[in-house]
This record gives sequence, structure tokens and C-alpha cells, in this order.
Amino acid sequence: MTNQLVISRGTKRSIVRALLSVALTLVATSIIFLINNVNPFLAFIYMFQGAFGDINLLSETLIRMTPILIVSLGLAVSFKCKIWNIGAEGQLYIGAMLGTIVAIGIGGGPLALLAALVVGALGGLLWAAGPALMKVKLGINEVITTFLMNFVGIYLVQWMISYPFRSPDTLFPESAAIPSTSALAVILPRTRLHLGVVLALALVPVVYFLLERTTFGYKVKVVGESPEAARYGGIEVGRMIFVSLIFSGLLAGLAGITEVMGIQHRVRGSLSPGYGYTGIVVALLGQNNPLGVALASLFLAAIMNGSSTLAWTMNIPMGIVDLMQGLLFVFVLASEPLMRFLERRGVLKL
Amino acid sequence: MAITPLSSPFFNDKEQDNGKDAEYAVFLKGITKIFPNGTVANHDVTLGILKGEVHAILGENGAGKTTLMRIISGILKPDSGEILIDGKPVRIRDPMEASRLGIGMVHQHFTLIPEFTVRENIALVLATSGWLNLKKVDEKITSVSKSMGLEIDPDSKIESLPIGKRQQVEILRLLCQDVKILILDEPTSVLTPIEVDSFFRMIRDLKSSGKTIVLITHKMKEALQISDRITVLRAGRVIKTIPTSEANEALLASLVVEGMIPATVVRRGTPGAPVLRVESLRVSDDRGRPAVDGLSLVVRSGEIVGIAGVAGNGQKELVEAITGLRRVESGTVRLALHDITNKPTRFIIERGISYIPEDRLHRGVILTMGVHENLALKCIGKPPMSRKSVIDRGLVLRNAENLISRFSIKVPDPCTSVENLSGGNIQKLIVARELSNGGEVLIAEQPTAGLDIKASEAVHQELVALRSKGIGILLVSSDLDEIIKLSDRICVIFGGRIVGEFVPENLDIERLSRLMLGAE
Repeated sequence: MTNQLVISRGTKRSIVRALLSVALTLVATSIIFLINNVNPFLAFIYMFQGAFGDINLLSETLIRMTPILIVSLGLAVSFKCKIWNIGAEGQLYIGAMLGTIVAIGIGGGPLALLAALVVGALGGLLWAAGPALMKVKLGINEVITTFLMNFVGIYLVQWMISYPFRSPDTLFPESAAIPSTSALAVILPRTRLHLGVVLALALVPVVYFLLERTTFGYKVKVVGESPEAARYGGIEVGRMIFVSLIFSGLLAGLAGITEVMGIQHRVRGSLSPGYGYTGIVVALLGQNNPLGVALASLFLAAIMNGSSTLAWTMNIPMGIVDLMQGLLFVFVLASEPLMRFLERRGVLKL
Repeated sequence: MAITPLSSPFFNDKEQDNGKDAEYAVFLKGITKIFPNGTVANHDVTLGILKGEVHAILGENGAGKTTLMRIISGILKPDSGEILIDGKPVRIRDPMEASRLGIGMVHQHFTLIPEFTVRENIALVLATSGWLNLKKVDEKITSVSKSMGLEIDPDSKIESLPIGKRQQVEILRLLCQDVKILILDEPTSVLTPIEVDSFFRMIRDLKSSGKTIVLITHKMKEALQISDRITVLRAGRVIKTIPTSEANEALLASLVVEGMIPATVVRRGTPGAPVLRVESLRVSDDRGRPAVDGLSLVVRSGEIVGIAGVAGNGQKELVEAITGLRRVESGTVRLALHDITNKPTRFIIERGISYIPEDRLHRGVILTMGVHENLALKCIGKPPMSRKSVIDRGLVLRNAENLISRFSIKVPDPCTSVENLSGGNIQKLIVARELSNGGEVLIAEQPTAGLDIKASEAVHQELVALRSKGIGILLVSSDLDEIIKLSDRICVIFGGRIVGEFVPENLDIERLSRLMLGAE
């Protein structure tokens, strides 16, 4: 069909919205750089170089992108259903922990890897199932429950790596290392780039297909846009809410265990620097479109990695990452009313 | 009757002066209003309203009547043009300013606070300082309602009052603000025939006490019955202002609609076997109070059964119980051979109940999704639209193109989101989807509310065509004319029960009204 290549007005608008949010974030960050006597252009150039400057830096950025992308693909599905899963961070930790236990328990080999990935994903699903049930059966707001379950999940994992599953051979609270034979293989020699990035990228078309070409995606969209119309159309609203929420948990768990099997090789308290939260920004910036989410997760990964270069070249504290993420979050949320304002004024015509 | 060209509105001799003459309570000069989305709601409207007259503004839905009145009452600002009150040019910035100038409007959807009493509602608009002087408010209410002969208990809560009384409270509230010009937006659309009579009496009383009344309506009969002069609006322009004594229905119809519409003569159907059978049904409303209270009803194939009643007597709950959207407490709903009591909605849809809902925008369509996706809502879950959960997108599109041309829905392309469609086209979309569903029972809830004459007629023709195909139709409508025109049997609903049944041939309107009000 010919009309598949034509970008619809809605899609065009989404792209402009995302670019607007990014542009505003860069402007606001520049102002903060200027206040601190830093040349913003130079800063962004260093940042870019830090993220994509050579093959090593590039592969580090892709490594950083991997868990963010997997988490945010899941969140995109639940957000499409207008279900706000704020608990991906906890689901990620639980998935990582359960998967690691299985990997170590089976001990080595590709089978252990596979089992770990499956159990890890299911762990995340399980952690999301509680809030999902409370939402569907009791009508308790999922924002509160998923968010609070983060603390329960993260502290539970910290206790597990401090006591029952503490590695006998280190001084720190961390789990034992997974057998090297079951780790995700490195795909680029002399870097740490592992198979996980392939897995993450492969999930992009899968989630796209799920959302755009299946009745599941259709129903998720209808429930998200109008639960009343969904009920009228014979769609089981509660079931769709439940499924979309545990699906986002599934991918959050998968992101956690992928990070373990690919990079960290054991569970530490510092496993995730907030990938579960970053995923929220990414899914919103990517407008819940898998392709948009992929680009947005690369962008966020680049900010994270570029900032460390910035830290030692221009003496800017690493906090700049959180600052930019926060600004991005604000501007993504503000972009819709802003777009409408610009359209009303006739500045923007789409 | 030749229609006066649109660009040169016809005026009475009097109106050709500039409205400086203080005989005019309100004079509008060249009012134009264009909405941000490009809709021209009013175009160069010039119109004078005489002091102490009842002036009807007549026109179809979307003719710009309400917009014009909102401009007068300070809710909207005109893009150009001038407003003169008592011959003096004014700028009306907000409704407060309008009420200072003596202008008040009763909206189609009432603006009283249901949880408040009459006194509290009126005190709300009279409060000019931080102090609430209820005694003064009471005095005002008593004196105004006495002079108007209204019997309203200031202590009753709005939610406990019937619609007709609420309307009186709305008017009372304006009178307490010493309003001289009352604008009433489609005041009779919520009233039963008997209530309309007493409403008209009130209008006459108001007139004789010296008030100026502007009546927005799309009903020609009413305009002829109550007004002194009539202004016809079409597509945002004034077509003509005429004294009511010189008008008749045929003339008005030719002014209101461009090109006459042949009124269809609806022949009665030939009912067959029962398809939908409701037996001693009990259903609760959202607050858990009984709304449908032991109701029984049969719809046979090839007949239209009209449910007449004042809104809020269990119609909504009855329809929702049949379609599986609300739990049935007791009783049964049977569809031909199947028991569909408390079955999931999807089961009921698949057994053949189609449903045109009253709340089109929230229930009937998903506004932000495409026309093609909306048209597939009820069939996407099964072959051939989808196989093993994978959607055949080509088929979804072809199905949409098919229905769009069959029902002549006006859309730029099948993938446009529904929010860009007009009300009439949204209703066509819903009708198209429900009729293509291939059910044996159709439930049509207020199927023409808010549609213009042409669109309503199209919907009526579809319903009649469907009946002759042997479909059983349950028509729930608060528009009595519609019920009488289409139904083979008319059931009157009051307090969640069927309290009377008529065949249209020997219909007793008086008795029907009394039944609707629960007077028997």
C-alpha cells in the first residue's frame, strides 16, 4: 500500500512535540551552563563526543541504552492503556534478583542464561501483578501502589544480597557472580557490548507489531483513550488494564536480568541508577511509539554517558544528568499545552 | 417562496436605523464570530430586539443561535461588530457585566448546583460582598416569586426538584438579579407537553410584567405559538426577521432549511415473533437506588417500540441492563432463544444486540482514534477482521471505505480521527457501525438528539428501513414527536415501570403526558 509511507498529521505532530521538548531542555540547560560560566556549545560538543566519540564510547552508550530501552518499551504499552506504572525500578530489581538466583542455581551454560532471562522477566511481572490486582479488583490507584512497591522491592533485594544470597567471597553486600559461561556474549571484541543490545533492539519491532497490528494493541488503545467506549464495545477493561500493567513489569524484569547477565554479572545495590524512572521519561518523550522510544532511549543514554566526560573535562558535577532528565520530564509534560497554545496563535501549523 | 439572498439580510423598515432608537432593548450591529478552528458561527449579524417583546431566534442546530446569545450575555467575545443596549453602545466583557446591564441567560444545560437549596443557589449570585445575608435573599425570593406567581420552596434542594421546577428556579434566579432581558436557550427541550403549557404561561406573565424575552429554539411550532417576532438564522447569518402574525410553518421551514425536505410518511411495520423479552426487571442506578422497578417489555421482529418518558425515569438503566453495561438485580432479559441476563457485553453483542448510545462522544466513539478504527470496534475481535489476534489492516480500511460510502459519512479520509467530525457525521458513523453489525435487535437511545433536520431525517429513514428488514427496534427518546412518528407501539415509562401503552393510531396526548408525569 502506498499510503503506508505517508506520515500522518498525528505522527508529524508527535515528532514536533518530541523535538520541541528536547530543544527546550537544551536551551534551559544552556542557561544553567551560562550562569556557571561554561560555554554551552563547548559543553554539548564534549557531551556528544563523550557519548559517540569513538567505538568504545559508542558501545558504552549502547550498553547504557539497553536496559533503558527494554524498560521503556514495556512502559509504553501500559502508558498507552493510560496505566501509569511508576514501579519499573522495583520490578527491575526483583527480576534481576530472581533471574540471578536461577542462573547461579543451574550453573553455567546457555540453558542457564535462557532460564535466567525467563525467570527474571517473570519476576518483574510478579512484582507488577500485585498493584495490577489491587487496581482491577479494588480500584486502588496504580501510581501509588507501583511507586511504593519500588521501596519494598529494592530493600528486599538489598536484604537478600546482604544475608541469604550474599556472595561468600566479597566484603560488600552483593550476590555471587553468575558463571561466565552463562553470561550474554560480547558481540564486539575489545568492548563490553553484549547480546543484550540485540535483544533490546529486536524488541522494538515486536512491541510495534503488538501495539499496531494485533487486537491486543487495539484494545489497549481503546481502553486508554476511552474506557467507557471500550466497555460499550465489549472489551474487558479490567483485563486489559491488568495485562498491560504486568506486561510492563515483564519487560522491566527482563531489563534487570539483562543488565546482570550482560554487564554486572552479579546483583549489587547499585545495579540500576534509576533506569526504571528514566524509562518513564523515555516512554513519554517517545510518545509511546516503539520507534520513538528507541530514539529517546539512545538520547537519554547519551546524556548519561556524555555527562561523565563533561564532568572531567569541564568540571561540571554529574548531577547534570538528573537535572537534564528532570527538565526533559517537565518539558515533555508541558509540550502538549504549549503546542496547543502555539497552534492557537497560528505560530505552528501542522 | 423565494429565499432572500444570503448577503443582503432583510430588515423591517424600523431596523434600518442604527439602533440608536431607544425602543430597542438590544441591538446587534454586524456581529461576526469565527472560532479558532475556522468555523464561522456568526457572520455580519444585525438584529434588533424590541423592548417588551418575545423574540424567537429560530434555526437548525449549528445555525449560530447559541453563539449569538452567548455573545450578548458576555460569555463569548465577537470578532467584530457592535452591541447596543437601550441605544447605547456597550462592551460586555463577562457575564457579571451582562447581568449589571440587565441581561441574563438560561442555558440549555442548567447551571444550578444540585446539592444546594434554591435559596443557596440564588444567594450565590446575589452575594456582592463577603457577607451572606440570607434574610435579604429570602425577602427577595419571596417578593419576586409572589409577583410572578411561582410556587417554589426556597428550602428544597435542586436535585429533589423535577426538571420543570428547576427551570423555574433558573428564571427566578435571573429575576432576583433584576434582569430585564431574559435569554432562554431551547427551554422546552427538557419539558413534557403539560410542562410546556405552564412554561408558556410563565413567558406571557413575564412579558406582561415588562420583561424582554429572547427564545432560542429549533421548533417552529413554539416560535409561532409564543413569540411576537421571529428571526431566522441559517449558517450564522440572519435570513429574515418577521412579525409572527405574518409567518406560518411552511414559510418558516423554507427559511430555516435551504431547500425543502420531503417529510417522510412512515408506514407501520408488520411485527413478527418476539425477539427481545424483558421480564420483571430490577436494576439500580449509580447510587444504588432502584431505577428500573419490575419492568416487563416485549419487542417483536419488524416493529419499533418507543419508550416515552421524562429523562431520569429508568430509561438509561434499562438500556444499560439490556446491553450488559449494568448489573441486573432480578428479572430476566432474553434475546430470542438466549438468556442474556448479566452476560458480558461481548456475549450480548455477538448474540445480536446493536446499540446506538445517547452519549455519543464518550460511549459511542473513541474521539482520538481514526474513523476506520471506530468502525471496527465491534467486529475487530473475530475473523475476518483479525485472525489469531493479528488484525487484517487492509480489511479494516476497506470495511471503513465501504461503510463511509454506503452511509455517506463526510470524512476527508477514512483514517481521520473522529474528533474532527461534526455531530451529525459522528452519529452516522455510529449508525453505520451498529447497522452493519447484523444484529436482530437494535436499541436506539436518543438517536437524533442534537442533529439537524436533514441528519435526523436520514437516521429516521435508516431505522424504518431496518424495521422492514425484520429487525426489532427499541427506541428510547425524549422527543415525543419522534416517538409518535416512528413507533408501532408506544410504552410510557415512569418510575422505572411501564405505566401505559398506546398504538399511535389512537393516541391520547393528554393522557400520555399525564402518564409521563406519573399523574395516573
